[in-house]
Amino acid sequence: MQSGILRPALATYTALFLLFLYGPMIVLAILSFQSIDGGPQFPIRDWSTYWYQHLLGLAESSRVSQLPVGESLVRSMMLAFMTTVVSTILGVMSAEAFRTKFKGSGPAFYLIILGMMVPGVLVGLGMALLSNTLGIGRAWWSTSFVLHVVYTYPFAFLIMLAIFNRFDRTVEEASLSLGVTPAQTFRRVTFPIIFPGVLSAMLFSFTLSYDEFARTLFTAGRDLTLPLSIYGTFSVEIYPNLFAFGVLTTLFSFTLLVIYGLLMKRFTAKASRFSGQEDAA
Amino acid sequence: MLTLSRISRSYGDTVALDGVDFVVPDDTYMSLLGASGSGKTTLLRLIAGFEEPDHGEISIHQTRIDGQAPHLRDIGFVFQNFALFPHLSVADNVAFGLRYRANKALNNDTEIKDRTQEALVLVGLDGFGHRGVSAISGGQRQRVALARTLVCEPRIVLLDEPLGALDANLRARMCDELRAIRQRLGVSFLHVTGSETEALTMGDEVAVLANGRITQSDTPDTLFSQPRTAEAARHMNAWNTFDGTLCDGMSVKGEIAVRFDQMDVSAQGRAPKDHLRVHAQYLTGEFNGPTALSFFRAADGTLLQIIDHLSQPRLPDLIEGQHYDLHFPSNALRQFHGAV
Repeated sequence: MQSGILRPALATYTALFLLFLYGPMIVLAILSFQSIDGGPQFPIRDWSTYWYQHLLGLAESSRVSQLPVGESLVRSMMLAFMTTVVSTILGVMSAEAFRTKFKGSGPAFYLIILGMMVPGVLVGLGMALLSNTLGIGRAWWSTSFVLHVVYTYPFAFLIMLAIFNRFDRTVEEASLSLGVTPAQTFRRVTFPIIFPGVLSAMLFSFTLSYDEFARTLFTAGRDLTLPLSIYGTFSVEIYPNLFAFGVLTTLFSFTLLVIYGLLMKRFTAKASRFSGQEDAA
Repeated sequence: MLTLSRISRSYGDTVALDGVDFVVPDDTYMSLLGASGSGKTTLLRLIAGFEEPDHGEISIHQTRIDGQAPHLRDIGFVFQNFALFPHLSVADNVAFGLRYRANKALNNDTEIKDRTQEALVLVGLDGFGHRGVSAISGGQRQRVALARTLVCEPRIVLLDEPLGALDANLRARMCDELRAIRQRLGVSFLHVTGSETEALTMGDEVAVLANGRITQSDTPDTLFSQPRTAEAARHMNAWNTFDGTLCDGMSVKGEIAVRFDQMDVSAQGRAPKDHLRVHAQYLTGEFNGPTALSFFRAADGTLLQIIDHLSQPRLPDLIEGQHYDLHFPSNALRQFHGAV
């Protein structure tokens, strides 16, 4: 009897929760279709795609200057890509190391994890001071990049640790017993099996780096990354072109997710379970 | 010929192997029988090179292999859980070693295909090559694991409880097939198991691993009928081992063994005069189908078992809690001199 009420109640709760979760994004999407003379708030004067055209530089000149996001977008993507590659490789390698207990593995573990625990503002500030002291110029591809790796590497590491935790070592031993070298074994056996985990680690590293703010703020130097330049536009005045941009980046993120999902599906479909015992003959 | 001499291996304070001396001759099916935790899997892992012994030497044809990397040893290993590569098809699993091994790797696709096909036919999996390894049954996985190992023609094949994951029906059939396959290839198998029936059925020779050592290595019938140590006798699961002083009618010292089927039961004082007697209390019986086991407890607490075959019942009606004389002819008795 109880579950008769419980189920719809939980369903309603979940629906409300999801609405709440996506509320800001929905508002953003609606407002991005504001007309040319509308502001960044309700009501919608008229529906139009003007701000999208404005964003892409297709609209005729207007009193609002174009969002300065083009170059910073490229920078952020480059940075996220570099971070993804380095963090994932580091994460896989160190998780592989942690499969066997070694001397100092306990402290080493916590030192790695610290990178994602320490407040970003402090690390950013510390890095800025350090680079000043050492006389190293700050740039998104050097100082920021290092901090992005420090920040995302623990995530990649933890994901890979969880993957290796469930990993059946005997398949590697089977490969060795067939005369295959450890390096080939990693390439032909270990890596294909852990690949879904590697994908997840890459996704985490990419998204975390792509919208990293605090650590980048102090260390990016003159050329800004995307979150910084968006923040910069707030100080002037907000127009719906910012919302249009928000919608486009969200679409980009969705695309990444879809690619991730498709790849995952492709690599885990083979592991579909066989149930029941068949005749052996 | 695989030779192990004085192999020891400890994990912390636990001694797994304590000076194992062991020889696996060429072209032999060798069973290695040991209780769980006796170190039999450790022994296989040391031979395969996944772990190294603390002391001792392992050699094949007089060449030492301990210290060598596992992929250079040319020793096949069939795992209890099969350890198939989940991301590869059956055929790719079997072809894996041929394709990627460090020495003598094949890069001729037709040759790989032919060899793989041959191996699949050998284990009776013709036509299964394209399947995913998750889409076949347990028995078939076992065959894939075997084919994958055999196709590389290793110098010796180690099998770690290869039938443990199969149901009883399948196990009996795989027993025959494993023997047949081995005979066809002429390579030595070292088959580790905890089941004495499996060990005795399969092995041309059976070795018993107990207390970190090989306590006896003999042909199955010799081992079964003439165990040289109390340990070996206990592993056959067919011998009562007990202290000789429990016997009436003759003074016997040390630990002795009498087979389950060579003991008889009679009411107190009714045992034949020329038989040795052990006084014991009847506990309970266990019906196993074609045989029935009766359990007795001797004066010092030792558990004694007597087996009765349904076709030739020889035991009187027994009442739980009653005392009886268990008796046996003196030639049924085995004494262990200097046994542990």
